Amino acid sequence: MNATRRRTGFFAVAIREWRRIVRSPFQVMMLLGLPLLGGWLIVSVFGSGAARDLPIAVVDHDASPLSRDFVRMIDSTGGVRVSSIGADLDAAERLVLRGEVYGVVSIPPHFERDAARGEAPVVTTFYNAQYVLPASQIKNALSSATATLSARIEFRQRGAARELPQVAAARVEPIALDVHALFNPSLNYVTYLVSALLPTLLQIFIATVTVHAYAGELRDATAGEWFATAGGRSLPAIAGKAVPYAVHFTALGLLMLAVLYGRLGVPFQGSFAAVGWATALFVLAYVAMGFAFAAAAGELGFGTSLAAFYCAPAFAFAGVTFPVEGMPLVGQAWGSLLPVTHYLRILVQQGMRGAPIEASWHAVAALAVFCAAPWPFLAWRMARLARATRETHG
Amino acid sequence: MKTLFSAFVDEARLAFSDLGILIIMVLAVVVYAFVYPVPYLNQVLRNVPVAVVDQDRSSLSRRLIRMADAHEAVRVAGEPDSAAESERLVRSGAVAGVIVVPRGFERDILEGRQARLSAQIDTSYLLTYSAALTGMLESAGTMSAGVEVSRWRARGMSQEAALRARRPVGLDLRPLFNATSGYATYVVPAVLLLILQQTLLIGIGMAGGARRERASTRSAAPIDAGGHPIAQVLGRSIPYLLLYAVNAVYYFAFIPRYYGYHVPGVASAVALLTVPFLLATVFLGLALRVLFSRRETAMQVLLFTSLPLVFLGGFAWPVEAVPVWLHRAAELVPTTAAIPAFLRVTRMGAGLADVSREAGLLWALVALYFPAACLTESINQRRSRHAPRATLGVYPSN
Repeated sequence: MNATRRRTGFFAVAIREWRRIVRSPFQVMMLLGLPLLGGWLIVSVFGSGAARDLPIAVVDHDASPLSRDFVRMIDSTGGVRVSSIGADLDAAERLVLRGEVYGVVSIPPHFERDAARGEAPVVTTFYNAQYVLPASQIKNALSSATATLSARIEFRQRGAARELPQVAAARVEPIALDVHALFNPSLNYVTYLVSALLPTLLQIFIATVTVHAYAGELRDATAGEWFATAGGRSLPAIAGKAVPYAVHFTALGLLMLAVLYGRLGVPFQGSFAAVGWATALFVLAYVAMGFAFAAAAGELGFGTSLAAFYCAPAFAFAGVTFPVEGMPLVGQAWGSLLPVTHYLRILVQQGMRGAPIEASWHAVAALAVFCAAPWPFLAWRMARLARATRETHG
Repeated sequence: MKTLFSAFVDEARLAFSDLGILIIMVLAVVVYAFVYPVPYLNQVLRNVPVAVVDQDRSSLSRRLIRMADAHEAVRVAGEPDSAAESERLVRSGAVAGVIVVPRGFERDILEGRQARLSAQIDTSYLLTYSAALTGMLESAGTMSAGVEVSRWRARGMSQEAALRARRPVGLDLRPLFNATSGYATYVVPAVLLLILQQTLLIGIGMAGGARRERASTRSAAPIDAGGHPIAQVLGRSIPYLLLYAVNAVYYFAFIPRYYGYHVPGVASAVALLTVPFLLATVFLGLALRVLFSRRETAMQVLLFTSLPLVFLGGFAWPVEAVPVWLHRAAELVPTTAAIPAFLRVTRMGAGLADVSREAGLLWALVALYFPAACLTESINQRRSRHAPRATLGVYPSN
């Protein structure tokens, strides 16, 4: 009877939602401005690519040509930089306490003389174990510097005994181990962190934005209009609302992958299709979870708090800095309740390792469950909401 | 003085009668101290599965396999027959690496030639990689040392002299401060500071948003639009300072004892750092209120910042590797100076003199954010004087 009657249904809800987003500067900031800012910050933190030249102090009690050679060898390993050379151990330990160096190398008195006599002088290295990454770099640098120096001294002694180089090599190290690092041969720590941090950042925004999209209608008392646009049916109301966010965040996710594999050079051996589809599933999972938090809370503030509690600690549980296998059972269980854990596993398996698709079916199935499981609950809450709005307005 | 007191009462009522704010500033603070450390409670990674392809099938190759299996970092989870089979195991993630013992391994050793093992290790998880690498290198190294020492001894040298001849320069690596090198004691103390800061900023922001929502409705109170900004800021900071003094005692006195990383004799230095840290954070929180017109905005906007901030605190990623401009900018956030200072005091026994630079920075932030908070207060007062009085529920959505 009304010629200008508005269209209703799934598409009408999607278009209405899209208009709500572009009209609100706050929503534009939450959907685009802050995610890009956060991603840029994370990429910038690790901008230098690797932690090199970490400062250490050397206490040289010998001050001989050999000890100075040794200091140069330590410096040339690249991982550390000798920022202070002194003769006072207490002063060097003060530097550790002041946070100026990560460790102290102490070269004993008579270092050169003892080495020449074959009395095996010992270099003592104190490293600050509170800083895990610098500690391992100091250990590696000192192990490799002492090994180089030992080999040089031993070769010299054997050379004097007229031994063939290959024979000498066999004597110095009867069993050698050639290590081949697979998939990420540069062992770039940044690769690990950034490729896990960006998805973790994305899930925070997807969840908070979708909670806002749903519960904002309750706060602003526009749920009745939303429901009317859907033609009074629950599923089109929710699905139509989900579409703009799913599309937008999948696009952001693909941009993220382009930055990771293109700009940052994260090794990629797998299938772009697999990783792309996994990204879409990952986004859909958090859209559904965000709606579920909003529907369960029935209020914007509390819904946002629930989403925050769920998303904020995710990085620790996702198994990147500390592998899932090493966690206690509770940690593993909570990690498996976070879609980002499964998504990161797929990224590693299908992106970095180029694993067969079967290897990832667990993770894919888990993501699919997160996408689908909230819908019956959402439909039920929606129907109740519709009844409530009809009662107040009708 | 009257403004200060009524601002204090008003703020306490705003914040502590709001369940959402209490959840963040009390419940989250209590619970997160137990939630965050969970992944790291086992402290170190053990028994990472590796595979061995034994092409030699000799007594020495079997000895190597036993040594690898006995190493605490790894366990031998499979002995595939072929290279293709071992590659499948690595790609599917069933094992973290493969050692190949080539044919002729035992013969090379017995005939005095260098025997070469080859290892392929999955690098897709860094800690797993380094555990597998350590396990393999040390098993091969121990066996190699045994071979060499027995050769020297065969020439009639004493065990001790043989060991010395093997390594002309020795290395003694000694950890300072975190002797067990546990992951929890590495992560937890730093993350606790971040939790204190983020919950303070979000909670204060929520209360500020709630106050502005109130100011734009009929239920606006006179305190929303008047009172000297300095008195307002001082009065409004007190409820948070009191609550977080309790939270700080909980985090710096109780939690370290609970996780067993407590160091005695640092209480006064910790207290002297806590004062500027809390003041700077509370004033920053009050200053940021200029951005939040709604109760929930602060949470939505600030939640993501903890991710970059973790890595700007210098414990998970060395400061030396952060671009200088970004580190300088990050020093505007209290945790950037507070995390290294608290770590050195609580974990390494540094004195106040050793953290004077960081303490100075925190006081500089107090001096910066107090006037900023006063400015925010006067801007928000002006806003609420000019705000159209609306009824709840029909103001423009954000």
